[in-house]
Amino acid sequence: MFTQTALKHADACRFCWMCRHLCPVGLKTGREVNTPRAKGLLVSLDQRGHAMDADTAQAMYECTLCGSCTNDCATGFEPPIFIREARTQAIVEGIAPAPVEKVIENIQTTGNMFGMNAEDRIPLDAMPETAEVLLYLGQTAAYRRQDMARAAISLMRKAGVSFTVMQNEPDTGCALGDLMGYVEDVRAQAQSCADAIHATGAKLVVLLDSYDAAFIKHNFAAWGIALNAETTTATAYFANLVREGRLHPEQLSMTATYHDATPLARDLDEHQPARDLIAAMGISLKEMFLNRRMAKCCGSEVFLQYAPELAHMTAEGRWDDVRRTGMTTLIAADPQALDVLSQAIPEDMRLCDLFTLLDSACR
Amino acid sequence: MEKRAFMFNMVLSELEDIVGQENVSTRECDKLTYGVDYFWISRMWADRGQTPPAADFIVRPDCAEQVSAILKIANYYKIPVHTWGGGSGSQGGALPMAGGILLDTKRMSRLIEIDEVSRTITAETGMVFQQLEWYANEKGYSCMHIPSCLTCGTIGGALGHRGIGILSTKYGKIDDMCVSMEVVLPNGDIINTLPVPKHAAGPDLNQMFIGSEGTLGVITKATFKLFEMPECRKHRAFLFPDMSSGFEAGAALMQKVKPSILRFFDQAETVSIIKKILGFEKKGCFMNVTCEGMERIVDLEMEIVQEICTKFGAQDLGSEYGEKWYENRITFFYPGHIMDIPQMFGTMDTVCTYKNVEKIYWAMKHAIEDNFPGVRFIAHCSHWYEWGTMIYDRFILDNPPEDPDEAIRLHNRIWNAGVRAAMENGGVINDHHGIGLKLSRLMKEQYGPAMQVLEGLKKSLDPNGIMNPYKLGL
Repeated sequence: MFTQTALKHADACRFCWMCRHLCPVGLKTGREVNTPRAKGLLVSLDQRGHAMDADTAQAMYECTLCGSCTNDCATGFEPPIFIREARTQAIVEGIAPAPVEKVIENIQTTGNMFGMNAEDRIPLDAMPETAEVLLYLGQTAAYRRQDMARAAISLMRKAGVSFTVMQNEPDTGCALGDLMGYVEDVRAQAQSCADAIHATGAKLVVLLDSYDAAFIKHNFAAWGIALNAETTTATAYFANLVREGRLHPEQLSMTATYHDATPLARDLDEHQPARDLIAAMGISLKEMFLNRRMAKCCGSEVFLQYAPELAHMTAEGRWDDVRRTGMTTLIAADPQALDVLSQAIPEDMRLCDLFTLLDSACR
Repeated sequence: MEKRAFMFNMVLSELEDIVGQENVSTRECDKLTYGVDYFWISRMWADRGQTPPAADFIVRPDCAEQVSAILKIANYYKIPVHTWGGGSGSQGGALPMAGGILLDTKRMSRLIEIDEVSRTITAETGMVFQQLEWYANEKGYSCMHIPSCLTCGTIGGALGHRGIGILSTKYGKIDDMCVSMEVVLPNGDIINTLPVPKHAAGPDLNQMFIGSEGTLGVITKATFKLFEMPECRKHRAFLFPDMSSGFEAGAALMQKVKPSILRFFDQAETVSIIKKILGFEKKGCFMNVTCEGMERIVDLEMEIVQEICTKFGAQDLGSEYGEKWYENRITFFYPGHIMDIPQMFGTMDTVCTYKNVEKIYWAMKHAIEDNFPGVRFIAHCSHWYEWGTMIYDRFILDNPPEDPDEAIRLHNRIWNAGVRAAMENGGVINDHHGIGLKLSRLMKEQYGPAMQVLEGLKKSLDPNGIMNPYKLGL
């Protein structure tokens, strides 16, 4: 059952082609169904006698929910609204793709989308139970990009920050929201995450994963979930530490281009801090043609988990953009972007994590 | 064993053998998606829950060689082939009306070459045109083909229906911009047009395939001119007291200067769309002009533009509204601003010499408004030549009949009346949206005995008539 809001957006988008050139999935697959207008049309037709089937449900998951389409729309329509609700309907009707069901099961049984055990999580030294500052790692950094998590922890220590990291960090609900829409289960997950954060006594939460940062900013507020703490992205936080003179990066002799992760690019509208950090390390930056709010999505972690082939293709699409800059090094500042991009690194290119670079530059 | 099902599976296997199993679809969701384009009738069907026209096989080739192999199979089995680029055409040109194969070209979207010596760019035709423009922009150039569907349609779509962009008055239509092409003929042969568009080696092959709407083959690669980015782009707007003075001013301008944009709106459009988007409140006929290139030349051109417009009684509105129009040039086409279902609407763009332009404008307006109560007629002229201009006429009916069949018949009657009024007074059936399914029936009226030239070409190249049946009057 779609909301009236979702149907209004679907009906507006069903006959509009204006944003199709921005869809990172459609650009790589070339399939008409991988366009926002096709998804709007199929939702609209579902209400008009052409009920959604398993193939349509599959199509609804062939989207990274990156919001490029929304960003482009001159009249404010948002395809992710009806795509997310179509996913809810697919789950309810039992027609969601099997890999999606598997990732949901992983989250429900292990607390992470990978289905990994607690002992596979990043090992942490003894951390205080409470602190003024909480470094929130997120699932990807905690399980798959532990290098980025270690670099962030190291930087906090080098800057002399009194902080903690939760040993049993609960998920924000961000991935689950992408898989099943913003249903009660997701809100409940968000609430338990907020409760856990509250228990640390943190006044400031530094979010390493920008997907979590965007989810907290937009959804926690919408659901009336109070964190009782300020939040900031890791990029903004470390850029501030450099500005305050608490981190002193050495100059690195390198040239590179930078990928704006989707939440930083559009949901949080945060473009400058990562560039400030890159400049602080003396790295010569050459921008990709599509940067900042226009940045092309490379795919998210949850997308990689349920649609690895498509995620590989979207990552390739971003590497194509890198190649046209003439650069051979790409810097990413988000664990999910880092992990997805790492699936498709061309042989002659190099992928760097901004925080690991910064950690190495700060002796 | 059912023979039809057996043969269906045989053809499916052959197609999968060419492009891979993952690139042939018979899925319902794909059929629905490829059954609705920008044509009002297909949108109306979708809105009213009707089943859109469906292809049997949606096939997505990766290269010209695969297109060739597909066409050979289609010819052997005599299966219709409908080529689909972006699917954003307004004439129903890509709709799979005869079933069979829908050939989606978008996997063929590679950039082949940017030749900075010759100032050309070559790409596969499944590429969305905006992408081609961005590749050019990355190197400091532009293709200068900036239609409102820049982000929606493919290179092949622009060529297939003989498209045009907002800068056409200076840089030309797509047929002026295309240097050469690779085309797969219906028999599967892959041919190239000559490497340059200007020569004395007989008729121009480019112009035989541009505008052929998938009825004579499949265009798979194309080379376009590149233009350096202009040093400056300056805008100005004027308000004319009536249509006559604006037409005269436009014709005079085209003898003296080469604006990139020259758009002239009738009063009905000035007080509705221009008011809504630009916030311009006055009555009259709005005109916006843009000149671009080297600044010292542009400044001189703008001086001449102001002199001519003032001479023909226009009020100079300064640069503000011209700039606003340019900033909002695409906004007009987003949901909420553009006409949409449940309205019935259509764009009956025609093109004619200056001698006939005003006569045609009034003939079409009367043909629509006098014969169809409740139907509004609005128009502007957006592409100008030394000899004439086009009229972008639109009709709008807010409450069309509920019954789909009745709605279609009314839709076609309105179209017949408007387009015939244009043709009877020296206008041409269409300026830049193409013919497709929408105007196919009127092609013989337009061409008369000259239609045999197009029919002869069709018969020779596509003897089995498999390429995009029911379109272009062929």
